[in-house]
Amino acid sequence: MTWTCELTEARLSEYLDGLLSPDERHAFDLHVNACVHCVPLVSSVSHLLSDLHSIEQIEPPAQLVYSILNQTLGPRESKKGWRVAFGWLNAVASARFAYSAVSLLATVAILLTASGFSFRKPKLADLSPVNVYRFADRQAHVAYARSTKFVSDLRVVYEIQSRLSKDNELPTTPESTVPKSSPGKNPGSTDGTRPETPRQQNRANDIGRQLELLAMQVPVASAGFCHQLILRRTP
Amino acid sequence: MAPGNFGVKLVTVAGFEADDTLEQDAQLVQQCLQGDGPAWEELVRRHTRRIFNICYRFTGNGTEAEDLSQEVFLRVYKTLGSYRSAHGGFATWMTSVTRNLLIDHYRRTKRDRITDSLEDAMPVVENKESVGRRPDQQLLLGELSFQVQAALTRLSPELREAVILRDLQQLEYNEIRQVLDVPEGTVKSRINRGRIELARILQQMGVRPS
Repeated sequence: MTWTCELTEARLSEYLDGLLSPDERHAFDLHVNACVHCVPLVSSVSHLLSDLHSIEQIEPPAQLVYSILNQTLGPRESKKGWRVAFGWLNAVASARFAYSAVSLLATVAILLTASGFSFRKPKLADLSPVNVYRFADRQAHVAYARSTKFVSDLRVVYEIQSRLSKDNELPTTPESTVPKSSPGKNPGSTDGTRPETPRQQNRANDIGRQLELLAMQVPVASAGFCHQLILRRTP
Repeated sequence: MAPGNFGVKLVTVAGFEADDTLEQDAQLVQQCLQGDGPAWEELVRRHTRRIFNICYRFTGNGTEAEDLSQEVFLRVYKTLGSYRSAHGGFATWMTSVTRNLLIDHYRRTKRDRITDSLEDAMPVVENKESVGRRPDQQLLLGELSFQVQAALTRLSPELREAVILRDLQQLEYNEIRQVLDVPEGTVKSRINRGRIELARILQQMGVRPS
């Protein structure tokens, strides 16, 4: 496609606004890059566009809106003095603003509480970075210690429960300690066998001792639980 | 200078007729037609800045821009019942009303305009947001805006409105076509000639490119 200086001038705005077809754009570029007459024109207009697009809108006079409203809706009181000072209240008297304000206040309150700030005895020193760090560090260590203790307590209770469940599998009645092969228990007679399982009383004492040892390692609540177990197992 | 790139990224402007803006404006218009005063107030607040900027950039005079802006909203308020969403977005229709008023004003005051001085052209304060910039950037922005405004007033009304709507108000070609009520080819031609003429005027004024 052949491009000329006349075409460059006639379609310069279309080029700058991106309205030329790819072929036309290519022809435009080829011509202008080789034409000493077209380069200054294209350069000056393109810079002009940059300047025009950088110009900011001008603010109208403050009273213009009120003048327009006076002429159309009728005389209105122009806001002066305290009306102007507190006119912004109209903008904030909305549900959306109230919701946002409450959310913001709640967030600030949570952050202040987490940083160790006391609302009953507020002190500016509580908001210093050093104090905030110390409080957060202390809280982190306390939380870690409590969680570790909780896990340890759970382990102890689990061991108690597991031992008790094993104990439940053992025979507890006199009849259950009788050797299975024995046809019956007659006075003065014996089949020469020994009971394979320990006697109930010795086993109960053994469990009780173990429960007492475990109970010494747990806090009061679980200690009370273990004490109940001990009482239950001891005849 | 890299081939094919003359220091400007190709701008893909989106215009002001985004779907949600269209819908919100349409809802407000319906409420206004039912006598809802706060809906009209909301419409005024949403569009005042834009209309004022169009008027100011076209007239170059802050006082005239203020008066014309009021006149635009008064006319829109009185003829709101004639707006039809099928003919385009409310913002486009409002811009069209603004443009027609500006052209009428231009024709009425054509004889008086020749003697306007540049000092009368810039009475308003620039955007307050530029206060927080570095001093040299703030000065540069203000100076550039002043120089562009001075150059704009030297363009013919047809080219001036095309450049204002496209490059200062970021309207799409289709929206400008609706506002000016001319074919799209005419829109492209006016924008192109306006940009080239504006660049030439700034060069004559000795404004260095950024």
